Amino acid sequence: MNHSNHGWLRPLVATFVGASFFLPLYLVLANVFKPGKDIIGSPAALPMPPTLHNIEEVLSRPDHLFWYGLVNSIQVTAISIVVLTALSAMCGYYLARNNGLGARVMLVVMLAGLMIPPAVIIQPITEVLRSAGLMTSVVGLVVVNVGYYLPFGVFVFAGFVKTIPVEIEQAAAIDGAGRLRVFWQIVFPLLRPASASVLIFLGVWIWNDFLNPLIILGPAEGTTVTVGIYRAIGEHQADYGSVFALMFLASLPVLIFYLAFQKHFVKGLTAGASKG
Amino acid sequence: MTATRTHPPAATAPPLEPPAARPPHRRAGRRVGGVGTFTLFGLPSLVLYGYVVLVPIGISVYHSLTNRNPFRPPTRWVGLDNYQKLLVDPGFWKVLTNTIVITVVVTIAANAIGLAVALLLDRRGWLYNLLRGVFFTPVVLSGVVVSVIWQAVLTDDGLLNSTLRGLGVERPPGWLSDPDLALYTLCWIMTWQMIGFCVVVYLAALQGVPADLYEAAAVDGAGPVEKFRHITWPLLAPALTINTVMLLISTFKVYDHVQVITNGGPGDGTTSTIAFDVIQTGLIGNRVGHASAVAVVMLVFVAVVATIVLRLLQRREVTS
Repeated sequence: MNHSNHGWLRPLVATFVGASFFLPLYLVLANVFKPGKDIIGSPAALPMPPTLHNIEEVLSRPDHLFWYGLVNSIQVTAISIVVLTALSAMCGYYLARNNGLGARVMLVVMLAGLMIPPAVIIQPITEVLRSAGLMTSVVGLVVVNVGYYLPFGVFVFAGFVKTIPVEIEQAAAIDGAGRLRVFWQIVFPLLRPASASVLIFLGVWIWNDFLNPLIILGPAEGTTVTVGIYRAIGEHQADYGSVFALMFLASLPVLIFYLAFQKHFVKGLTAGASKG
Repeated sequence: MTATRTHPPAATAPPLEPPAARPPHRRAGRRVGGVGTFTLFGLPSLVLYGYVVLVPIGISVYHSLTNRNPFRPPTRWVGLDNYQKLLVDPGFWKVLTNTIVITVVVTIAANAIGLAVALLLDRRGWLYNLLRGVFFTPVVLSGVVVSVIWQAVLTDDGLLNSTLRGLGVERPPGWLSDPDLALYTLCWIMTWQMIGFCVVVYLAALQGVPADLYEAAAVDGAGPVEKFRHITWPLLAPALTINTVMLLISTFKVYDHVQVITNGGPGDGTTSTIAFDVIQTGLIGNRVGHASAVAVVMLVFVAVVATIVLRLLQRREVTS
């Protein structure tokens, strides 16, 4: 495509821009594998020879901050995204296929929830949870995640359902299949790109959530890995080695998740939104 | 709602060629509607959404009309007092302005830089795939992680300023300690985190532009600027909408960055946002009545912006 004499310019500029952009991430990566004194002395240097000391230190902390956090994060994220995908697929399908006034109002009310900051309603949320005995529990956090992130799932699924011809469902219904069976056996498999987007985005968002687990789980029941990082900065402000190592370990699962599902990340989102 | 009205064939019209043998009474069973279907498909979501979002909003509205402070009973009904006080409270106007500045700056900057980078990376090959991954990485990192990274870089004796001093700059800027600068430093950090999302969405749109359009334009003698204006830009419109919606959603919610990087400072609330202020005064300062009034103002603000965004989405659906 590029027949000009400046064919070498684009890769050069792209590499330079990409490297500048990556610099802050490089600083963390390099210092994870460096002994503490070198981090202060020569922060930008390559870790030569690399050491696993910082990582070992985080993994063997006497208070098990990382391991408890990991178990909590996996539990909360896995349960939340499975429930969210199922519920928002059904709800998005129902709202996309329904033209009644009630369904239209419900769609608007739900989409308005997309932009509500959790910080603004977390105080009354704690009151509601406390009255149900769900504060400082994983169940409480899952309930809040599901209720709060439903609008995003509904937004993606409702957009995607409209791209699927309604005739397919009608044919199945004529064969005598019930509504739930038509949905789970015929419609849901067709929604796979949207399901992938919802699972991936919500998985990353819930894993990375800070405020909700900080306040709902509280100090008693342990915490998630993301909140654990915040706790760790408070404890040893100067010890960048172990803070960076904790950040690295806490981000590793989402990074692997992202690399594995890279292709699906935006596909469902753009397909649903651009075809309307 | 125009969005649903533009798709009547999918939702209500009968199939184009109805099978002759179909008994008429089965129509109702096939339609997605009715009380039974709602109970099955819509109700569970509505109940959970109501429990976690709508009921707490109701509680906020109620608290905002009282002087509630759990440590200073009794709670009295004060009518619109809290709102009247907000109107003349410079601290409130400050956090409101900060929130708007962050939302506008980050949304525009991430879109603009994201588009520029996407145009730069719009080629095939391993280098461009690798760079796309590099730009997307911060998107999947948590706000806390990104905050800690940038704090290490930007504090007064952080990596950037020690490098600048090494280069002979005697008094490098206090990126996070200068009250006039800190808000914009914060905007940059959030922009840096979101650029990759815009890049990926714009790249997907760019690669969906049919090549023969460009060839036809080249035959007609169009230059690169004209090609961008008349072919690329109009076809990028859906990508622009997706990016803007996602950026609005995430910038309105920003809390983590403020808490971890500046804690609202330097000084008195120079980088505080509405989300941060509600937590500080309500959950930590226990002035629930006051904080709830701020929360309700934010919710009204969100409702207005959400309505505008929904209109925008619908208009695009109509034209596409």
